[in-house]
Formats: sequence, structure tokens, C-alpha cells
Amino acid sequence: MFIITHRKLFLAIGAFIVIVSAIITLTFGLKLGIDFTGGSLTEVGYSTLPEKALIENALLALELGHFDVRQSHGELGDSYIITGKTLSVEEQQTLETALATLSDDAKVIRNTSVGPVIGEELKDKAIWALGAVLIMIILYVALAFIGVGYPVSSWVYGSMTVLVLFHDILVPLALMSLLGYFLGYEVDVLFVTALLTILGYSVNDTIVIFDRVREKLKEFRIEKRTKVKVPGGLDREVVTYTLTRSFAEIVGIAVRDTMARSINTSLTVLLALLALYLFGSVVTQTFIIILIAGVVAGAYSSIFIASPLLVWYADWKSKKENPA
Amino acid sequence: MDVKESNTGSQTVIRIFYALVTLAVGCGLAFFVYGNVTNEDAKFPFKLGLDLAGGSHLIYEADVSGIAPEDVPELMNVLRDVIERRINVFGVSEPIVRVESSSFVSSERAERLVVELPGVTDVAEAVAEIGKTPLLEFRLLVSADSDGNPTYADTGLTGRYLESAQLQFVGQSGQGGLSNEPIVAIAFNDEGAKLFEEITRENVGETLAIFLDGALISAPRINEAIMGGEAVISGNFEPDEARDLAENLNFGALPVPISLVSTQTIDATLGVGVIEQSYIAGIIGFALIASFLILWYRLPGFVAGVALLIYVLVNLAVFMIVPVTLTAAGLAGFVLSLGMAVDANVLVFERMKEEYRAGRKSRAAADEGFRRAWSAIRDGNITGLISAVILFWFGTAMIKGFALVLGIGIIVSVLSAILITRTLLRALPDVASESSGFWSFLFGCGLGKR
Repeated sequence: MFIITHRKLFLAIGAFIVIVSAIITLTFGLKLGIDFTGGSLTEVGYSTLPEKALIENALLALELGHFDVRQSHGELGDSYIITGKTLSVEEQQTLETALATLSDDAKVIRNTSVGPVIGEELKDKAIWALGAVLIMIILYVALAFIGVGYPVSSWVYGSMTVLVLFHDILVPLALMSLLGYFLGYEVDVLFVTALLTILGYSVNDTIVIFDRVREKLKEFRIEKRTKVKVPGGLDREVVTYTLTRSFAEIVGIAVRDTMARSINTSLTVLLALLALYLFGSVVTQTFIIILIAGVVAGAYSSIFIASPLLVWYADWKSKKENPA
Repeated sequence: MDVKESNTGSQTVIRIFYALVTLAVGCGLAFFVYGNVTNEDAKFPFKLGLDLAGGSHLIYEADVSGIAPEDVPELMNVLRDVIERRINVFGVSEPIVRVESSSFVSSERAERLVVELPGVTDVAEAVAEIGKTPLLEFRLLVSADSDGNPTYADTGLTGRYLESAQLQFVGQSGQGGLSNEPIVAIAFNDEGAKLFEEITRENVGETLAIFLDGALISAPRINEAIMGGEAVISGNFEPDEARDLAENLNFGALPVPISLVSTQTIDATLGVGVIEQSYIAGIIGFALIASFLILWYRLPGFVAGVALLIYVLVNLAVFMIVPVTLTAAGLAGFVLSLGMAVDANVLVFERMKEEYRAGRKSRAAADEGFRRAWSAIRDGNITGLISAVILFWFGTAMIKGFALVLGIGIIVSVLSAILITRTLLRALPDVASESSGFWSFLFGCGLGKR
């Protein structure tokens, strides 16, 4: 299987993607929205949009702190999205009255005001949720693969799965940083939802390939049971395994056999996402873009990174144990 | 089941019978869903979240700093009931009032009250209405501090023990019979009456101050233990003031102070477009996925398409019956789940293809495909469920809907693959892979040689 034979190349590409994504994310940074920072957001639609400067001046006159005004093409046509500090109900009313005086047909489509404590708490929760998913996945995969301790321990499968997940998460993070820096996209609760969904989906892809490795390992191994005398008089049975093919070959077969499934499943998911992007609501468009990035990254990583990584680790381990 | 048995005629009839039952159940579901969607006053309509139906979402934080931790849950329930009663007064259909504690991961404990008002977009009015709920507290005068300002101690007796309030007029002695002063007479419930009696007995001669919304209303001296649980609030009220107070107290009084920390209002027009577009995206997504399945897997692909259709119906029925609150993200999640749901089928079909090409007949290949694909289906979907569960925990109300859609989708998709697809596949003729012709073409799949 070419993916395994050229594993160094694919691992290098994977490492490159991870490093570039990390640099992009760190350089541009994520722009946190009011869900996390606290603050207010008001979307107001007009049948004919007034000048942006007009809105900004009107807001300045209210003396409610600084507001950012961004033009948006929303569900109901053109609108302005106005973000600023957390507003009380009275302040919100003052704002809406000011907006209404600019034009007769001003319509407040939505407004949100989030207290800073709520935002802070959600941020903590988001980080915990991401961490919890990763830990639960390591545990589950390690448990599910407990029968295949040779040549690498079942914990390695779990850890590799999670290592690969970092790749799948970094790509959408980098994309979001770029969108935030250049187009002003803000990280909201939906973004975290997208990340958690990607985690659940992408791990599925990797697991199917590892599942085949598990099966093939059982097929291509010879079991040898020997009785060993232990001090104290009791006999203990020791089972040793020898593989009839190299680990790299076995992983290669597993990747080959699952290739069609990996591609087909990613394809059907992408078809659904594509339909949502092209015909679905504007409200969830950013969410869909992030999911597409995650699904593509996940498909790449489970085929081209997870299995090569497994073989690379087994090589490294055997070299360490038998330095000959 | 061995090969010989599976070839008998009666077995085939049974297989076809099961397949027909499956299809009939599918039709029944379609009828149920269609009926509930089209019927105006259906028994199980879809439940739309605030972002689709429009409305207001308010979060209040309760100040429970002076309350013993073990009393907090009960107090929050009292608070919820009071606010709920208050909201029912101004006639919102299906308001939701629920208590939410800050999660264990946050550094500070906070008790919150989440209020959802579908259809209410005038948040200021809603807040004002809720704000009319009085906060009634009885505190003991302790002493005056160095500046001569009096300090008060909590007694634990608050508006939560209130049973009823009534406007009364009393004549003030010494000022002539015509000068009637409006007062509010309150009656405590049993628990409150006991507490009131205890406080008054132990503090004869002290001053028991009555605070309304944090402001001192009156500070009468306790002359003797008061039994029977009745008290009077008098504070130079205007008659109208006293009447409003009595009225508001009758709806209940706040057991603890609350403050508004977050508001959200969404216009109802936003949702209409979202639903329509999600519907279109869903149909197109379904068509694309089904076409792909048929092109690649041919007859089994068609079967998977039918299974996917039943999957959609089962999900919609579950959304209606549970009911699952549908949000914009939830609808997107459902369309997304169409793509994910076929995964179990794809896993089985790829396995089946291998077995079929290796020389098994189609039916045996299918059985073997299901058997061998099971561990991958199980492990892959359990990890998916793990993230759905954690999403549910993490999420705000809108995200919880998405997590629920995702979780239900995962469970239904596995069931649909192992029950529906399998039952339907078994009803198809048993075809040997080396045979050629129409059926063999239908069971061959993918590109490349057979």
C-alpha cells in the first residue's frame, strides 16, 4: 500500500499542515464573539440601507460606549449588525429607538445582550467539553482495542486517534482565524458545536481503519502458548504472538480494504454539507463552512496520517527495544 | 442459519413478509408525519426553538449568597413557580421557566433562572412585567453602626412563605374617623406562620423591619409573640400603591433578589426562511446521497436509499413525539446526519462486496457483511454518541437541540442499518457471484472488475 510505503512523505505533509495551521491560528488569533466575551449584538434591517456613517454617528450620540457596525446580508435581506458592550433593557430600547428614527422601516431582527459572567462561564465550559471528548475517546478506543496488545498496546490506538484529532481541529481553527481576521467572523457557540461534531465524526473514520487493523492482526498472527514455571510452584501460561507478515504490511492491507468506505462516507457527508451550503439558511452558513473544513481534514487524516503514524510508532518502538 | 434451510420456499415467503412489514411500517410513519405536519391542530406538532419561532430569552441570576446551600434548590423552585405564575398572567403561550445552576467547571457558583417567551419580542415589556414581582423580606434591627445608620439581620422569613395578601383600610386613632390608612394584610402559610411566631417570641421588644424590594417600608416593634401567621404592612401608602402591592403579592413574592444578566430577542420572520431553506437543502441532500448510493452500490444502494427514507421518517416522528426542540442548528444537524447515517450501510456493503467477489452468494455475503462490519459500526458510533452527550451538557438551549438531533440520528441510523436494510436485503433473490446477467449486475458494485 503506497500510503504505508511512503509513510514518511504523508506524515511530513500532515506535520506541515499542523504547523501551518497552528502558525495561522496563533498569528491571526480567534475573534471571540459576544457569546464568550459578553456584550450586545443588535441586527437591524432596512428596506434601503442608510449610510453606515449615519448609523455610527447616531450610535455615538447615545453615549453608550463604542459600537462596531458591520453590514450583513442576512436571512431577511440587507442589515447592519451592531456590536458593543452589554446593554441593559432600557439602554437597548434607547438604541432601538435611535435606529428607528433613521428610517421608517427599521426592523430589529434580533438582539442579544450577554453578561460577562455568562460569557466567561461558557468559555470555560467549551474548553472542558473539548477536553472531555478527547479523554473519553482515548479511554473508549483503548478499551475497545484491549484484545490487540501486540505489537502496539491498545492505548497507542487511542492516543493516535486523539493525536490525529488535533490535526482535524487545527484546520478549522486556522480557517476561522483567517475568516475572523479578514472578514470579521466571530467565534460563537455554533463554532464550538462544529468542532465537537467534527471530533465525533472524524474519530469514527479513524476507528473504522483501526478496526480493520485489529481484524487483520488476528488473521495474520500465530499464537504460541507456553507454560512457565513461576516461583511458588504454579504454572502460568504465557501467550506469545508472531506475525506472519510485517506490521506495516498488515496496516497497509487494512488501509487498502477500507479505502472505498472511507471515501464514500466522507463523500455522502460532504454531499449533505454541500446541499446545506448552497441551499440552506444563511444563519448556519459559517457553521457549515467549518464543518466542511473539518470533514475534509478528517478524511485526509484518517487515511493518510493515522495509519502511517501507527506504523511509524511500531517501528520506533521495535528499534528501541532491539537496538541492533 | 445454514444454506439449505435458507433456500426453501417457505423461508423466502417469510423473508418477503418481513420486508413488506418493514415497508408498511415505513408507510405508517409517513402517514403519521404527514398528518402532523399538515394538520393545524395536530397532536404532535414540531416544536420550534426560539430562533425559529421568534421570541425572547431572558437569564436572571438569583442572589443566593445568604442562603444555606442545602436550601438553595427548594428556594429556586419557589422562585420558578412565582415567576411562572407572573408570566402566565400576561398570556404567553407555552412559556418555559427553568432553573439552571452554573456548571461544576466554573469558578463561581451561580443559580440562574432561564425564561423563554415564544412570540414575545417586546423584551422591555416582559422584563417590566416580571420585575413587578415584589421581593418581601423581614429583618431584625440589630444595632446602629458608628454613623448611626441602623443595620439589620436576615431572619429567613421572606415572601416565599406568603399565602395571601389583602388590601385593608384602618382608621388611625386620634386623627378622626374619616382618615383611613391603606394597609396590606398578609397571611403566611403554615411554615411561615411557625417561623413568624418563633421570631416574634424570641425577640419581644426588638424591631422587626419589613423590606420591600430592598427598601425599608416599616419597622414595627414586636410587642408580643404573634401566633396565627398574620401580619400587616403599613407604610404611608397611597391607596393605589397599596392595592398594586396586594395584587402583586398575591401572585407571589420573590424569595431571593434576582437580576437580569442576559437577554435575547429574535424576530419571528427569521425562522420562516430558515425552515423553508433547510427543507429544500434536506431534499436536495437526500437526492444527492440516494443517487450516489444507487450509482455505486446498485440494488443494495437502492435498498439503502429506502432505508434512508425510513430513517428520515423515524427521526421526524421521534422529533414530534419526544418532542425535540428544533433550532436552525438542529435542522442543519439533521440534514448533516443524512450523510452520516448511510455510513453503517456503506460499511456493510463494502464488506458484502468483498465477500461476494470472494465467491459467496449474495445472501450469505450480506449476512457475513453485517457480521463483520458490526464492530466497526459499534465503535465508530459510540464515539459519535460520546460527543453528542458532551455537546448536550455543554450546550445552551439552542445547542442542546442540535446535540439531541445528532444523538437520536446516530441511534436511529444504526438501527435502520441493522434492522431495515438487512430485512430488505434478505428479501432479495439469492444470486451467485459467478453467474452473469441482470441480477448479478444489480449486486455488483463500484467500479473495476467484479
